[in-house]
Amino acid sequence: MTAAHVAADSVTKQLGGREVLAGVHLLEQGGLITVLGPNGAGKTTLLRCLATVVSPDAGSLVIDGLDPRHEHERIEIRRRLGYLPQHDGLVAGSTAFDTVDYLAVLKGHRDDRRRRRAVFEVLDCVGLCDRAGDRVERLSSGMRRRLGMAQALLGAPTLLLLDEPASGLDPDERLRLRHILTERRGTTTMFVSTHLTDEAAISDSVLVLVDGVVRFAGSPQRLASVARNCTWVQHDLPPPGVRASWRLADGRHRCLGTPPPGAALVDPTIEDGYLIIRDAT
Amino acid sequence: MNQIVAQARLDANWRAIEAELLAPKPNILERLLGRCRVPSHVTRVIVATPALRRAWYLALAVAVLVGMGATNPGDRASLFTLLLLAPTLPVLGVALAYGPAADPMYEAQLATPMRGLRLVAIRAITVLCVAVVALGIPSLLSPVARPMAFAWLLPALALSSASLALMTWLPPRRSAAIVAVVWLVGVVLVEGAGSTELTAFGTIGQVTALLVAGAATVVVCTRRSSFDRMEYLG
Repeated sequence: MTAAHVAADSVTKQLGGREVLAGVHLLEQGGLITVLGPNGAGKTTLLRCLATVVSPDAGSLVIDGLDPRHEHERIEIRRRLGYLPQHDGLVAGSTAFDTVDYLAVLKGHRDDRRRRRAVFEVLDCVGLCDRAGDRVERLSSGMRRRLGMAQALLGAPTLLLLDEPASGLDPDERLRLRHILTERRGTTTMFVSTHLTDEAAISDSVLVLVDGVVRFAGSPQRLASVARNCTWVQHDLPPPGVRASWRLADGRHRCLGTPPPGAALVDPTIEDGYLIIRDAT
Repeated sequence: MNQIVAQARLDANWRAIEAELLAPKPNILERLLGRCRVPSHVTRVIVATPALRRAWYLALAVAVLVGMGATNPGDRASLFTLLLLAPTLPVLGVALAYGPAADPMYEAQLATPMRGLRLVAIRAITVLCVAVVALGIPSLLSPVARPMAFAWLLPALALSSASLALMTWLPPRRSAAIVAVVWLVGVVLVEGAGSTELTAFGTIGQVTALLVAGAATVVVCTRRSSFDRMEYLG
């Protein structure tokens, strides 16, 4: 099993008259790729394009040498795909087992026994095996998110697309999510969209998407280093002209921008780098 | 090494047993479909599709109401009501069972290898079957043989196909609304001309319905890729 090869060239997409993706280039195979960006940046649309549920208006998208514009190739891509949409759409009245089982059928698991086993394996993987018979409405939001994650993991996909998988998860659940993602690095290409910059720390690569354009692509360390020599702390109120600033617990202010002479520079974080990139024109 | 392999096999077997024990038992409908030799994976799609439930309830409720309202075989008005409303049932059922507005799992299932056309066809046929059974039973139990009571079947097929064809361009609910309105207005205009023979459901009407169903099926098959995409985002 080889991780999926994803190549996107000048992918554009318009929705409601607005250009949501404006010439996105990608070339990835294997590993965890975190897609960061503000609301409306195009993260969900990018993942939908990769999931082949939305077709780009222009540009080319090729996954494992397959072009999703052709029906048979699109179906073949979907066989290799695990997709967690932003809104998992779980329906009240169904049990956790039925929800995953239904999607397992759609994913081509026809043999009843094997399918049931596959369903319980993914439920076990996300820690919901003992809640298999519970109705969806009785699950907490974090559990529902994990249930959505379970269906995405069905069939050991080589391309995993997760739209905000960490939303609603408590720290323990986020730890489990990290474990699930990191143990698949070698065999799966994973695109994870999030607005939580600390989640990007475990990724192999980070994409910062702003207004439909990839403003940054590189390692988390490189993203943090973008803010090197641009991050400082001070006791006084931040001077006018700083790009961003916030008050720390100890009363000091953490500032981003061009530091004044003698400023107390600090090591930048991924969030600092992200904020610098996001605000760059 | 032997012990490790044995332990791994033991774990796998235990997981399989656990899965069989914990898996929910098939319900009555699932067992019934199984006896009718419907493949188990198709049965699961029908039974476990959450979005189908509302469509079934609607189909059953309206079918029972329409069936009860058309129990007098000699009354032209009650028969006309049955023939006018019955074909719209499957159309409304499909609109309630498919698409982003009706089905919360729409996006997740769209990304699976199951072709959208196959999925929507299974749902349309299911809703059609429920409506046929629900409307057919009162007709069969009627003391007088009424072949006209079944004259809505072909129009129902035609409207369902036309609705699916329109769904390759428009959102499901809008498609269903357009088809239903065109049907209702068309039939009322034809029958309002003073005919007592229910012309719209006579031979010409049935042949027209068959032609519409055929043409719509060709459109659906030609444009089947539309069912594989989120084309309804606007």
